[in-house]
Amino acid sequence: MGTARYITRRLIFAVCLIWGVSVILFAMINAIGNPIEILLAERPGITDEIIESVTKYYGLDGSVTDRYFTWLWAIVRLDFGTSIIYNLPVSEMLVIYGMETLKIQIPGIVIALFVSVMISVLAATRQYSKVDFGVIAGAMVGHSLPGFLLGIILILIFSYWLGILPSYGAYSTRNPVMGSEVIDGLWHMVLPVSMLVFFNTATLTLLLRSSLVDVLRQDFITAARASGLPERRVVFGHALRNAFIPVLTYLGILFGLMLGTAPVTETVFTWPGLGALYIMAIQQLDYPLIMGATMIITVMLVTATLLTDIAYVVIDPRIRLG
Amino acid sequence: MPSTLVCASDAPAMNTADPLLEVRDLKVHFFTRDGVVRAVDGVDYSVNRAETLGIVGESGSGKTVSSLAMLRLVPPPARTMGGQVLFEGEDLLAHTPKQMAALRGRRIAMIFQNPATSLNPIYSVGAQLSEILMWHEKASRRQAEERVVELLGLVGISDPGARLRQFPHELSGGMKQRVGIARALMCNPSLVLADEPTTALDVTIQAQILELLADLQARFRMSMVLVTHDMGVVARMATRITVMYAGRVCETADAGTIFSAPQHPYTRALLDSMPRIDQSYSGSARKTLPTIAGRPPNLLNPPPGCRFHDRCPEAMPECRKMMPVETTIAPGHSVSCLRRGSTGVAA
Amino acid sequence: MAIETATLNAVQRAPGVWRQSWYRFRRNRAGMLGLGLVTLVVVVALIAPFVAPFEPTDQSAMLRGAARRPPDAIHWLGTDRNGYDVFSRLLYGARTALLVGLGAMTIASLIGVIIGGIAGYAGGMTDELLMRFAEFFMVIPVFIVILAVVRLFGIVVVGTWMEDIPNLNLLTIIVLLGCFEWPPIARMARAEFLRLRNAEFVEAAVCIGTPRRDILVRHILPNALPSLIVLVALGIGGAILAETMVSFLGFGDPKAVSWGQSLYFNYEALKVAPWAVLAPGGALFCTVLGFNLLADGLTDAFNPRLRQ
Repeated sequence: MGTARYITRRLIFAVCLIWGVSVILFAMINAIGNPIEILLAERPGITDEIIESVTKYYGLDGSVTDRYFTWLWAIVRLDFGTSIIYNLPVSEMLVIYGMETLKIQIPGIVIALFVSVMISVLAATRQYSKVDFGVIAGAMVGHSLPGFLLGIILILIFSYWLGILPSYGAYSTRNPVMGSEVIDGLWHMVLPVSMLVFFNTATLTLLLRSSLVDVLRQDFITAARASGLPERRVVFGHALRNAFIPVLTYLGILFGLMLGTAPVTETVFTWPGLGALYIMAIQQLDYPLIMGATMIITVMLVTATLLTDIAYVVIDPRIRLG
Repeated sequence: MPSTLVCASDAPAMNTADPLLEVRDLKVHFFTRDGVVRAVDGVDYSVNRAETLGIVGESGSGKTVSSLAMLRLVPPPARTMGGQVLFEGEDLLAHTPKQMAALRGRRIAMIFQNPATSLNPIYSVGAQLSEILMWHEKASRRQAEERVVELLGLVGISDPGARLRQFPHELSGGMKQRVGIARALMCNPSLVLADEPTTALDVTIQAQILELLADLQARFRMSMVLVTHDMGVVARMATRITVMYAGRVCETADAGTIFSAPQHPYTRALLDSMPRIDQSYSGSARKTLPTIAGRPPNLLNPPPGCRFHDRCPEAMPECRKMMPVETTIAPGHSVSCLRRGSTGVAA
Repeated sequence: MAIETATLNAVQRAPGVWRQSWYRFRRNRAGMLGLGLVTLVVVVALIAPFVAPFEPTDQSAMLRGAARRPPDAIHWLGTDRNGYDVFSRLLYGARTALLVGLGAMTIASLIGVIIGGIAGYAGGMTDELLMRFAEFFMVIPVFIVILAVVRLFGIVVVGTWMEDIPNLNLLTIIVLLGCFEWPPIARMARAEFLRLRNAEFVEAAVCIGTPRRDILVRHILPNALPSLIVLVALGIGGAILAETMVSFLGFGDPKAVSWGQSLYFNYEALKVAPWAVLAPGGALFCTVLGFNLLADGLTDAFNPRLRQ
């Protein structure tokens, strides 16, 4: 009962949040005036009549509130309109590009989670040792090395100097690697995913190690050991689950950060994802695309936060009461 | 038939001392940033079968650390630096980690000070208790849970079947400590280390828990080491008492002797500083409660000679130079004090 | 009497919170390394005009056909594809970086402390509303919003008086970063104000009739400072990183000499002139690492309980 109420509350907040972003976004776009006018003003040979008819075509005439509710009703039905530049339905583009983004972001965080658990356990169970010190130093450096710089370094080494991995794109234009589309796709994922895994691992390790060190100091760990449970069970069963509780919140934030900086990642690797699409959209003021991409990124982010909230309930019985 | 069995194991315990556990010259040091803290610095004591040894001392006297050292569970940056822990003739400090793990919880178990922090908050009571049996005795989940229910009943928890699915935060403090006790008794250990088992509890609950411990100890004929700073607790529970000060043992004797004829000045000072019900500390005819002047020494830099000399009312010049060696002054009564005939070694 | 005076002096000489923290901080090698890196960046920013071998706008190498040259005796870190001296631009970039970091965090701290302070001290409904507001800002994709605003604002100002403001684009980025980075500070300020509001020394101050403004400014704020300073140090690094990323994507200030601009202009030539990318990248990394280590060291110094 408590669990259901807790999740409902988070769900309501999530919906409010998405709605809030939609208002801000709409207000922002409209604050600059008629986007069509601005868009076309930069081009020669545009008359007022053309602007007027195009404005009408995209449904940009009428009062702001009218337009907002029309737009809101449309996006609730997942209709994000038509891209001005590409003349394609925005929702279709978002799905295609969104998949490409998730294709690198999800492995980026899942692999990092496993790696950081292993490294943190290794370090925290050997607190004050050289291994531990090395892990802290490495994680701090990795956490401070901006992801896109790492991406640049990876491209320099593996694509330009060693020439073994592709530096851009998600697929080869011709001649897929080893003649297989699937292997070709995976091959292109190696560098961007490595970059994401490296940064996420460093950040998660920093948190998880110190959380684990704190938990390993707790009485109930000594008690579990004093009960004769094997060390593996004490660390992975008793300590890790507790150590994960503070890290969970950050997992949502980290995923959000990665999605939010997807424009940078995808520019470095010329990856055809949402981030790259967004950059094109704001460069060319493709306002349905800007609004659609922002909304979809917000929804992904809020979903991630919601998932961590739910994971909390699963992992920490103390929340079930509240 | 059962009576002969009891007699057989009982006879030596009654007459000669039959130590179940002997701690010899145990040393535990903390390696901190500021230097080496000698938290336990050459401690000896022994526990006989079916008796309760009370270890008394102020906080920081090394009593908790020494009981953790027996289980080889001192946390870093502390390390056990030497000595022997003989349990049923085996030196635990020479055991492999695997041997130690097999022994913990099965033959020696521990009850912790703070029930609020010594139970894992994310596992149900049933899960964390039955896990121990499933591991040690390869019991099935069902068998283990049956035994857990039985033990929860034994430690005085009502409706044990329902408690199985509850989480620690859903229980009261006293209830949690009962669960902690049940956990220690899971595999019928021959020795239970109880580290301040009542300190974190309400006064009314304290009495109940002590009663329960005494009852269980008698029922299972197990030995118990009761670590506490509370003279009242040992007076009630202990067969014998060891008094510790600043990482060393001052005095060991039968409980009666400690209270009726204490020898070490520190033991005397401790007893003097206990409030007494037959004296008034308020009103016109009030007395001041005696206290021990000064502060416990900083173990980073312990005073030379006897650790107690700078607070001792009977200190003599030698106490500053010589470290007293524990000396038996009567059967079962040993003291480390130059004033009481201990020999000293140059510090 | 003499003894009493002596005791009194001893008490007065006892090191204060700040001095004690400094003693602890000095023993933290990582923190000291961070302080060293941050000091280096500050010093470089201050002396850049005196030590830089070339003007940051000097493209003469281009005319000599010496663009994209690898490091040599004249151009210590080589030249980039526009003929700029990489080393000189790296030195000048430190100024922009610090300006962005300090500017953004000044704004963020002001907003954060005011909102967090009000929430923590007022409590109740005000607190609830302000904190939901802060949470909202923490969940939305800030970086993406900043990109859009920078771009759209750049269009709005065309043809207005604001166009004449030098480095308007950079200022916009600084203000935006400040306006989006305040929630962590507000949350911390709220937690500290809430904790300190009920502290005994504050109650004592209330009892002797200290005006509310004095309680807030002289009793609560100084005690909340340590926790806030840590966040500000982290935030400076974060703001510098954010500005670099905005510039790297091409939405930065073309007139500003910043590491992000260098990265943006030279990324296409990564294969032929990697030094022009690696040098500003390395500078950014050192700066971010410096502020992260500094924040880490400060956390340990201010909260000795957290450390073993």
